[in-house]
Amino acid sequence: MSATCEFQAKDYKSDLKPIWCPGCGDFSVVQGIYRALAAIGRPPHEIAFVSGIGCSSRIPGYTTAYGFNSVHGRSLPIAQGIKLANPDLLVLAAGGDGDGFSIGGGHIAHLIRRNIDITYIVMDNQIYGLTKGQLSPTSQKGRVTCTSRYGSMENPVNPLLYVLAYGAGFVAQASPTDLAGMAATIEEAIRYPGFAFVNIQSPCVTYGEEAQQIKGLKAISESLKELGHNPEDRLAAMDLAQHYGEKLHLGVFYKNPEPQPTYDALVRERQALLSKDALPKERILDLFIKK
Amino acid sequence: MAPRIDFASLSLMDALDLAVLIEEEAQERYEEFAAQMEQHRTPEAAAFFRLMAINEAKHGRELAARRSQLFGGVPATATRAMIFDVEAPDYDEARAFMSPRRAMKAALASEAKAHAFFVAALPAIQNPEVRALFEELRDEEVYHQELVKTELAKLPPDSGLSDEDFVDEPTAQ
Ligand SMILES: Cc1ncc(C[n+]2csc(CCOP(=O)(O)OP(=O)(O)O)c2C)c(N)n1
Ligand code: SF4
Ligand SMILES: [Mg+2]
Repeated sequence: MSATCEFQAKDYKSDLKPIWCPGCGDFSVVQGIYRALAAIGRPPHEIAFVSGIGCSSRIPGYTTAYGFNSVHGRSLPIAQGIKLANPDLLVLAAGGDGDGFSIGGGHIAHLIRRNIDITYIVMDNQIYGLTKGQLSPTSQKGRVTCTSRYGSMENPVNPLLYVLAYGAGFVAQASPTDLAGMAATIEEAIRYPGFAFVNIQSPCVTYGEEAQQIKGLKAISESLKELGHNPEDRLAAMDLAQHYGEKLHLGVFYKNPEPQPTYDALVRERQALLSKDALPKERILDLFIKK
Repeated sequence: MAPRIDFASLSLMDALDLAVLIEEEAQERYEEFAAQMEQHRTPEAAAFFRLMAINEAKHGRELAARRSQLFGGVPATATRAMIFDVEAPDYDEARAFMSPRRAMKAALASEAKAHAFFVAALPAIQNPEVRALFEELRDEEVYHQELVKTELAKLPPDSGLSDEDFVDEPTAQ
């Protein structure tokens, strides 16, 4: 790992011009990420940023770091592979609510139970933005879209409860209504040793509803810190997380005060243990040759 | 969490540094908006946002010059994390194909927001020099609003079309 250097937010901005719709909340998320990375101070070549497919998943392209705009729903297994192959990298994964909680929903549990040391940022806009406004797993019941003409009949997924229930060590929520808070939350998530999840309410100005735009979000925002919430209390976090969709709680819901060992630390430990009796490389074939 | 401003203990140097940061943030946001408009073939709004960015930069340079005249190279303690969207328009104010009128209204709302920020801060300020600076900045925001209103008055009437008229109809894929 390199020594911490002085970096500014603009050092993480890439030359690629975003093609998001003007006004899209994702513009603020990428700024929040630049600010958080500048505060951490790791050089861009020590950062890997992986996403799936969606408007939000374009974000690695706009960030100066190693980037992979991969396959719909598969950012997490790819990020996991990168982290295990090179544990010294700072690994970020990001994508949309559809990418993370529909097609990719099955992966989250496994990264959490292994405690893979990455930060996963979901830009939750309650819609499939890229494919032009279909129902997403976090769309509220009754939502009218081009795939739910008479209103959705499904209950939405609650992303916060989902990850809390699987045992994630760090769970937080942010929104463009408070960019400074968003940057600080992402920074704290990156610094957490283990799987960290940040749900960001990021309005889709083109297909989102009025209540989900910045003014609507401001009206339902509440700072968890100002509410006096203790982020070490997992059950209190779950209690608050139940209000997803009605209230917008901002800040850290849960941060395990005694983080579990990360998977890559366990792998290194196991490798050190087994390497004592390991054969030298040039005799490795002996394992397969019957004596 | 991000440190916020303690107005009661704000020194003149910190206040000037914050004022510079506020202008810098607004300048960057207008530049971002101008780039978004250029990307989405909305040249009139892009040109207006570029102009706003130039104005914010000019004001920022004036404040920075005052700061260095008074305090030289003393390192700043105020940071960008302390402010958010004081004079910068909200991210969701930008729209593809927005009319110059809508762009100017977004700028007008931002100047009003900055005015409200200084008005809200004033009662907590103890230091008389900081108070005088904040009063000056508050009054400047009124002047900026007048400038934008004058430009708005010069515009021909809107076409009646909204940006919604240019958005693709949703289609299932
Ligand atoms: C395997 C596969 N299935 C479906 C798609 C079509 N598709 C692309 S993006 C997307 C959903 C995008 O929604 P979300 O993840 O919420 O991202 P957003 O665009 O809202 O940021 C879908 C269904 C695909 N690209 N690949
Ligand atoms: S469709 Fe929605 S999510 Fe996609 S870029 Fe446009 S505003 Fe953002
Ligand atoms: Mg989405």
